Amino acid sequence: MEQTLVTVDHLTKRFGPPVGGFTAVRDISFSVHEGEIVGLLGPNGAGKTTTIFMLLDLITPTSGDIRIFGLSYQTDREAILQHLNYSSTYVEMSPQLTVYENLFVVAKLYRVIDPKQKIQEYAEKFGVTEFIRWPTRKLSAGQKTRVSLVKAFVNEPRLLLLDEPTASLDPDIALYVRKEILEARKRGMTVLITSHNMAEVEEVCDQVLFIHRGKLIARDTPEGLASRVRKVHVNLMMKDGQKRTLAFAKKAGFRATHQERFVTIDVDEEDIAYLLASLADLGVSYKSIAIDKPTLEDFFVQASTKRSHL
Amino acid sequence: MNWSRVGAIMLKHWFDFRRDFFRIFDIFWWPTFQLFIWGLFSLYLNSVTADRPNFVTILLGGVILWTFFDRATRDISRTFIEEIWNRNLPNIFSTPLTVTEYIVGVVGIAVVKLIMSAVFLFFLARVFYAFEPLKLGWYLVPATIGLTFAGWSLSFFIQAIILRYGHTVEVFIWAIAVLVEPFSCVFYPLSALPVWAQRIALFLPTTYIFENLRRMVFGQSIRVEDIAVSFGLNMVYGVLSIWFFYRTFRYAKKEGLLVKYY
Repeated sequence: MEQTLVTVDHLTKRFGPPVGGFTAVRDISFSVHEGEIVGLLGPNGAGKTTTIFMLLDLITPTSGDIRIFGLSYQTDREAILQHLNYSSTYVEMSPQLTVYENLFVVAKLYRVIDPKQKIQEYAEKFGVTEFIRWPTRKLSAGQKTRVSLVKAFVNEPRLLLLDEPTASLDPDIALYVRKEILEARKRGMTVLITSHNMAEVEEVCDQVLFIHRGKLIARDTPEGLASRVRKVHVNLMMKDGQKRTLAFAKKAGFRATHQERFVTIDVDEEDIAYLLASLADLGVSYKSIAIDKPTLEDFFVQASTKRSHL
Repeated sequence: MNWSRVGAIMLKHWFDFRRDFFRIFDIFWWPTFQLFIWGLFSLYLNSVTADRPNFVTILLGGVILWTFFDRATRDISRTFIEEIWNRNLPNIFSTPLTVTEYIVGVVGIAVVKLIMSAVFLFFLARVFYAFEPLKLGWYLVPATIGLTFAGWSLSFFIQAIILRYGHTVEVFIWAIAVLVEPFSCVFYPLSALPVWAQRIALFLPTTYIFENLRRMVFGQSIRVEDIAVSFGLNMVYGVLSIWFFYRTFRYAKKEGLLVKYY
């Protein structure tokens, strides 16, 4: 039976005074099972990072309950954090220290047995070895992200929180990081990840939690969320009748965009036949046609712009 | 309390110290600068005053002892604000490290730096001004401990203020010792202060230590009750400042200040 590793129950975070303050997270509840990779998605300011920081006990919730490994921060903070780690693009390490010194201190804080060997292992995995003796201040943004990932893995946590883990990374390294996250899952690690890269979330996540204005508005698999979007993209490479096509789309109330000879029309799945028949009636001809199914990105855009629940 | 994590914090700040020229400079340069100014002034006073007290012992003793207080107020606060400058607090406090372990770690490394600074000063004072620190005898022990504790109390208070208000109040790190110095009667007796200032001075643990330093130099006996008052005040201020720091830390977690980028 799958063990529940994280249980968040009616979590709310309000900052500032009762009048004039703001609520960053509103009454969200969810759970994460052992070995799952869960994506935390939402537009900027949705409350994702605040939620991550509450899971790390860096921010105290206003109300609600967090249980990690079945334990509470009120009584077992050290026991929880010993088996947890995180990486964020927005948190820096000491710039004066070398990369190795920074990682060594972190490993010591987690009481890692044989920290040298463990640092070496992950430094090789994330391509940090070549600059491991450099002062941290001399690293590029991408190099800092890689160091932050070594830091996140150094204690082999049971639960890993990753805030934008592939931001600033070259595509080949980002690909490697995704592979490593999937490998970590095979070793039994549970991962909670925030990302603005929808393709990445679709690739690695088993479940997605979508937060908007502090509220959890959807929880599903990436495919499940994408399928909630009814619109499909009909991509036409025009041969003749581009202006007629755009005029028809406008009249019919379909959203259409065009670039040179390419026209994309967004329609509900059941309207595809009507669209194509209408274009045929108008004498429009096209060289090729492709129909794209909705993606997680479409869900993201739709959910971020709609106020109502999906 | 996990000593391995305390050791990690000490190690981190030792790495930091070792790699930063300005910090090494700070430990050795400013005390040396002060020592030479007051040393030369003491020699001058000794040369022009008949039937004089030993100005070298009074003034240099004051400078050296004051260094304990000065460094104690700055070292811990500076360490802390650097974590804020470097956006490193989330990295530190997302580990199992407790606030108490962090405090013990930064105090531990502060003691190491303080000892380095003091040994260097004693050495210079002895070589250049024939100042014998051991002439202060047993009094050196309560005096240095009392001044260091007084500095730490203020430092924890400043750290809490920094945690609450961020960079805007960091000036206190550098200014607090200067603000307290006139009331501490480092180079002159309490009676030299105006009455209103004497009332303030009596609430400072530092005042009693410097008053008794002068008594000792003038061959009078140390007033043990003064030392007791000084330590009593230190205890009260120490407990209050640590309580204030813990309280502000809880407030910072509540308001998200640990992860705020100033």
